[in-house]
Amino acid sequence: MLSSKLLRGVLVALSLAPAAAVAQDFPTRPITFIVPWAAGGATDITIRALADAASKHLGQPIVVENKAGGGGTVGGATMAASAKPDGYTIAQIPISIFRYPIMQGATYDPVKDFTYIANIAGYVFAAYCSAESKLGNWKDVIEYAKTNPGKLTYASPGHGTSPNIGMELMAAASGVKFTEVPFKSTNEVNLAVAGNHTLCGATGLDAKPLAEAGRLKFVNVWTAEPNAKLPGVPTLKQLGYPYVFDSPWGVAGPKGMDPKVVAKLQDAFKKAMDDKTFKDALDKYDMIPNWMDAATYTKFVADYMVAERESLTKLGLAKK
Amino acid sequence: METLNLVAQGFGVALQPINLLHCFIGVFIGTLVGVLPGIGPVSAMSLLLPVTLAGTPESGIIMMAGIYYGAMYGGSTTSILVNIPGEAASVVTCIDGHQMAKQGRAGPALGISALGSFIAGTFAIILLMLIAPRLAEIAIAFGPAEYFSLMVLGLVMLTFLTQGSMAKALLMACLGLVLGLVGLDSINAQPRLTFGSIHFIDGIGIVPLVMGLFGVAEVLYNTEQSLKREVVSANISNMFPNKDDWKRSAGPIGRGTVLGFFLGVLPGGGAVVSTFASYALEKRLSSYPERFGKGVIEGVAGPEAANNAAAGGAFIPLMTLGIPPNVVMALLLGAFIIHGLQPGPLMIAQNPKLFWGIIASMYIGNLMLLVLNLPLIGMWVRLLKLPYNVLFPLILLFTIIGVYASGNNVFDIYVMIFFGITGYFMRKFGFEPAPLVLAFVLGPLLENNLRKALILSQGDLATFLQRPISAACLIIAVGLLLSPMLPTIRKKREVVALDSEAS
Repeated sequence: MLSSKLLRGVLVALSLAPAAAVAQDFPTRPITFIVPWAAGGATDITIRALADAASKHLGQPIVVENKAGGGGTVGGATMAASAKPDGYTIAQIPISIFRYPIMQGATYDPVKDFTYIANIAGYVFAAYCSAESKLGNWKDVIEYAKTNPGKLTYASPGHGTSPNIGMELMAAASGVKFTEVPFKSTNEVNLAVAGNHTLCGATGLDAKPLAEAGRLKFVNVWTAEPNAKLPGVPTLKQLGYPYVFDSPWGVAGPKGMDPKVVAKLQDAFKKAMDDKTFKDALDKYDMIPNWMDAATYTKFVADYMVAERESLTKLGLAKK
Repeated sequence: METLNLVAQGFGVALQPINLLHCFIGVFIGTLVGVLPGIGPVSAMSLLLPVTLAGTPESGIIMMAGIYYGAMYGGSTTSILVNIPGEAASVVTCIDGHQMAKQGRAGPALGISALGSFIAGTFAIILLMLIAPRLAEIAIAFGPAEYFSLMVLGLVMLTFLTQGSMAKALLMACLGLVLGLVGLDSINAQPRLTFGSIHFIDGIGIVPLVMGLFGVAEVLYNTEQSLKREVVSANISNMFPNKDDWKRSAGPIGRGTVLGFFLGVLPGGGAVVSTFASYALEKRLSSYPERFGKGVIEGVAGPEAANNAAAGGAFIPLMTLGIPPNVVMALLLGAFIIHGLQPGPLMIAQNPKLFWGIIASMYIGNLMLLVLNLPLIGMWVRLLKLPYNVLFPLILLFTIIGVYASGNNVFDIYVMIFFGITGYFMRKFGFEPAPLVLAFVLGPLLENNLRKALILSQGDLATFLQRPISAACLIIAVGLLLSPMLPTIRKKREVVALDSEAS
């Protein structure tokens, strides 16, 4: 009895002793970065570039571990449930981490169960219309929807995705109704518009070659600033909508991380943002840097959850 | 002229050392699994799918394709020498091929099957090259309604052409449909049949499903049979068929190629059916049908040409429409998607290097296969003597590693084991896994396109009949469904089915 009590005491002392020193020396061993997507995809490649760059500033390797599933939520959910908040396990936080709890329910609470470290980047979304539709700009689209109720069809890469939510919010703001046709990938959306099966489509910039071939025309872009790849295409703000949709993604650890460790990781990622390989990856996959430090990101998530619940409920996407 | 230019570009891609290496690995593994009874191209491809992630999409897909058509070559070796089909498409080759081997003519039998395969394979690639880009241009006119009707036709054809009981095939297809429903509803994004588990949100993975049903089940099933192996290895010194052999084989190879290619293009057709069809055709055309089954070279040349041509034809619906016509192509579709590529009408235009690179690699792969299968035949024969108590545990080990590696997800291993055991019982009771897997892949696509078509037509079902391509597909499908009620066709279908059971 005595010895086991003693042993426990020693163990507690041992486990506490290095804890104080941890924040100073962090990191002393490799860090695991959970990527909730299959290896080899656009987001995976971009994160690997980011992790490589950040590890140079931390002096320890960052090991990317792919844990795909649940629309990108399995990685974060698993980390929230089982990882220690010591900074050695972090995960990419895609937009679905916030949306799934509202739409389907989840095992974690996005506000309470993570320590947010930094927001990194966002995606470029845009809307376009088929050449045959004769809709040459966004005003035409709204006009058409007004005079032909329910006939303005657009292809989205999935129900509840950012392009879908963006289109519906714009329609609501303009007092018209669009008909969404959910496809499964960006490519299918492009094809539907190129073949004039739907009048419009909303996804990323992958349709650019089709636009150059004259099969479709971009009518707006959803980032805060105009995009260099789409010269002359207006942003939503320029069109009079108070919206920016870019599906921001960042990095977080389990709840209860030491603020000093958070600061070290945040600083390393901040420096990594200037890395050339990472910047090239962002540009190649049509993402834009969207830096938020730990404090800003944490506040952003809390506000975002409120706003997102409101939009999703309005669109009938929230879980009843 | 432009095509030639593109082909040249394709060879530029295929001849890069790294792609040449992948092509060689692919056809080598293909021959290997073709030779080894028990595992076929499907198990091998699902096993190696995660491996391809390390390289470029070109090299990965070149390798996967190589496994497929490589297995078509290798399968015949085992059929001829051991009388066990190395893989399903070589069942027919056993009939006359093994008889020839017993008569001391193993050499010419192996020779004609390799050369016939080469001729048919090359011809199929030329057709693929000429047809696919044209078709892709037309395919942009395919909207949700057309896709829906085309897939209805495919599923009907699948059950129609499948061997054995149609009721069992339909039952398997239904099971596949239900399994395909698991996960987020593609229109509403609401979870279905997930039982509240996060593991099912993305649906059941095709890799663990296929590896379970084909890989694990195959091993379990084979351990129970005592395979009697009498390897005929006496006289395979002279591989080249003589003048008379050639004269008798030319027709069967030509007919087998055309038949195989078009059955390969059709959804649900594929390599296996084409071999039976070719054998039946040659027997009917022959002036001495009674000698079939006793070692005639036509019975080897025709089916072997057919299965290789079918392997080429099967690429057309995948590359141009993104619809896999058989299980192997469904896996290849998975490989494309893992690499962030969506096969469909845009792929050839957007990724000409990839498409033409794959085509060019198939020419090269076919040449490699000729070398692998003619001079190196002795090596494969020796491999056939490897004891199964070494081989089978190894295969099981690889499937488990492979499934885990494909998603870093332990849950996938449980899924695979579950379907392995299910597949074992299915095989025991005569249920084919292929309709299940195809329905699993096509089902969600079918539902998705049906609902999209109805959203676009604002709920009007007439849209499927108003659009000509869609209407034509549906009419053919109805015709096929009704045809078993006509006595003459039913008889023919039963004959084909019986043939396959007899061997």
